[in-house]
Amino acid sequence: MKTYVLAKFADEGAVLSAARALREGGHRALDIHSPVPIHGAEEALGLRPSKIPTLALLAGLTGAATAFLMQWWMVGFNYPINVGNRPPLSLPAFIPIIFELTVLFAAGAIFFGVMILAGFPRTHHPVFEVEGFRSASIDGIWLSAEVESLDAHPMVDQLRTLGAGQVSIVPEDLQVVTP
Amino acid sequence: MSTAPNQLLADDPLEPYPLMVGRPDDRTVTEDVLRPIWRPTRKGWLMLVGLGSVGVALFGLAVTVTFAVGIGAWGNNIPVAWAFDITNFVWWIGIGHAGTLISAILLLFQQRWRTSINRMAEAMTLFAVMMAGAYPLLHLGRPQFFYWLFPYPSTLGLWPQFKSPLLWDVFAVSTYFTVSFLFWYLGLIPDLASLRDASKHRWQRMVYGIFALGWRGSAHHWRHYRIAYLLLAGLATPLVLSVHTIVSFDFAVSVLPGWHTTIFPPYFVAGAIFSGFAMVLTLMIPARRYLGLEHFVTMRHLENMAKVILATGLMVDYGYVMENFFAWYGGNPYEAFAFWNRSHGPYAWAFFTQMTCNVLVPQLLWFRKLRTSVAVLWVISILVNVGMWLERFNIIVVSLHRDFMPTMWGIYTPTWVDWSLFIGTIATFGTLFLLFLRAVPAVSASEVKELRRQLDAEAAGGGTHAVPHLSQTRPEAS
Repeated sequence: MKTYVLAKFADEGAVLSAARALREGGHRALDIHSPVPIHGAEEALGLRPSKIPTLALLAGLTGAATAFLMQWWMVGFNYPINVGNRPPLSLPAFIPIIFELTVLFAAGAIFFGVMILAGFPRTHHPVFEVEGFRSASIDGIWLSAEVESLDAHPMVDQLRTLGAGQVSIVPEDLQVVTP
Repeated sequence: MSTAPNQLLADDPLEPYPLMVGRPDDRTVTEDVLRPIWRPTRKGWLMLVGLGSVGVALFGLAVTVTFAVGIGAWGNNIPVAWAFDITNFVWWIGIGHAGTLISAILLLFQQRWRTSINRMAEAMTLFAVMMAGAYPLLHLGRPQFFYWLFPYPSTLGLWPQFKSPLLWDVFAVSTYFTVSFLFWYLGLIPDLASLRDASKHRWQRMVYGIFALGWRGSAHHWRHYRIAYLLLAGLATPLVLSVHTIVSFDFAVSVLPGWHTTIFPPYFVAGAIFSGFAMVLTLMIPARRYLGLEHFVTMRHLENMAKVILATGLMVDYGYVMENFFAWYGGNPYEAFAFWNRSHGPYAWAFFTQMTCNVLVPQLLWFRKLRTSVAVLWVISILVNVGMWLERFNIIVVSLHRDFMPTMWGIYTPTWVDWSLFIGTIATFGTLFLLFLRAVPAVSASEVKELRRQLDAEAAGGGTHAVPHLSQTRPEAS
């Protein structure tokens, strides 16, 4: 049974060194929660750089290609309209819409990329069961570790030695234990 | 970390006003920013919303009349086929541009004074673009067929005319609204989580919890969020320039004297930022007092915005000089007449009011005493928007009303429907902004927390020369 162990830390330095120590001890399923991004958290947790920029680039190129092909086919081939004897395929006139769709596709990919990669929307999560965890979006810095339920209490002790303040255990049945 | 005491500083004109008064800790920042949402509804707010609702009703009435009668209910005629509708469209969309400039361009330039004003400015952008979008839809005559603007496989086998700036506008404005909304919402998510977590009632927790999408402030979230926010800013920056450029193409690509000029794109973009910043000031000066957030939105922010208004105002002045110069130097008698007609024709009053509001009034901002006076700034901001509205009116109506042939000349008089639509959009915009102030944090708490960390780090590390003074405050000349 999966269990979450939540520990509150006093400051950013403490949570980073605790995360590093746990990772060196072989724990991988760790997370740091904070009201503002913590410099060094990604490195301490061993997270790879986000894939969002790649996604945005690919989506932007797709948008540009879509806009170009759409205009090229619609007014160049499918139904050419002669206005002032301009050529049906006049690229300069296509540029504004190519640009707009590039931006639209890239922005959509960025926003929905965050939604998918960060697992949103997920309005419920076991960590929300801990009343004190409300501070994570206000002023609290928390470390959460996902462990097997048998390892929960050893993890609590380990977090305490690493300088954690309040520590809580959230088992899968969501009955919070605060040892 | 506790709030620094309010210390008075000797009135040294070379020292900037602080970006943030005091150094509140994270919890205090959250409480300050969320207080206007939790506190009971105030009478003043309720009265303004009531007044706004009357305007919204008027807007609804005017829209109904427009739909029922057709655009014959407006004062538009031939030759003045574009009048209040397009004037208001251009005016509103221009106002929106300041929000994107603050939230995106100033972010890329690492201007920290954007931090506590970007949320309000972006909200203003969204509402202004909504108001702008209403006008072309109404002007379609048969608004129920608005989807004809988009390339969809119709049974007629027809496609839109991709070589027309009016179609580019459809793509530009709809992209602009979508991207502005996504950018604004993404920035709002951490604060929605704060709202969820600070809420006292279960229903508040549920409502804000749904909109917060499950944000847990996790390092996994932040690593995607931060780069996403930066990239959206990077995309919004050229987007905002493209939108008003394309709006100006609506005019510049035509052959009408007064419209057919290459200076329009930069001149329109500068005018958009000019009027947009004025609108931000108009809204922010009362809003920061209502919210009790004068320690986050300080005189520094107001003064910086005043400087942007002055700078973009000078660019607009340059545009005025150049378009008149080319009308004379170009040797085209029709072009020359169009400009002569602005200051000597039947709409000369609009021309001179425009010049007073846009050229003379902003010059007051050269004086520090005036641009740091809240009352003076507020009046100037309103006059600038009056001037910018008249600029669009002069470009559109006055260029149209005297065509090439005197037999084609006409005059435009707005009807009550025109006025109701105009007043109605202002009221709807204001009401939406009031609802925004009540429902979500008007200042980004998570970004202010980050700003405080930066200011602390600078103060600790020595930082630049101005830094030690940032922790001190001085009375605002209001």
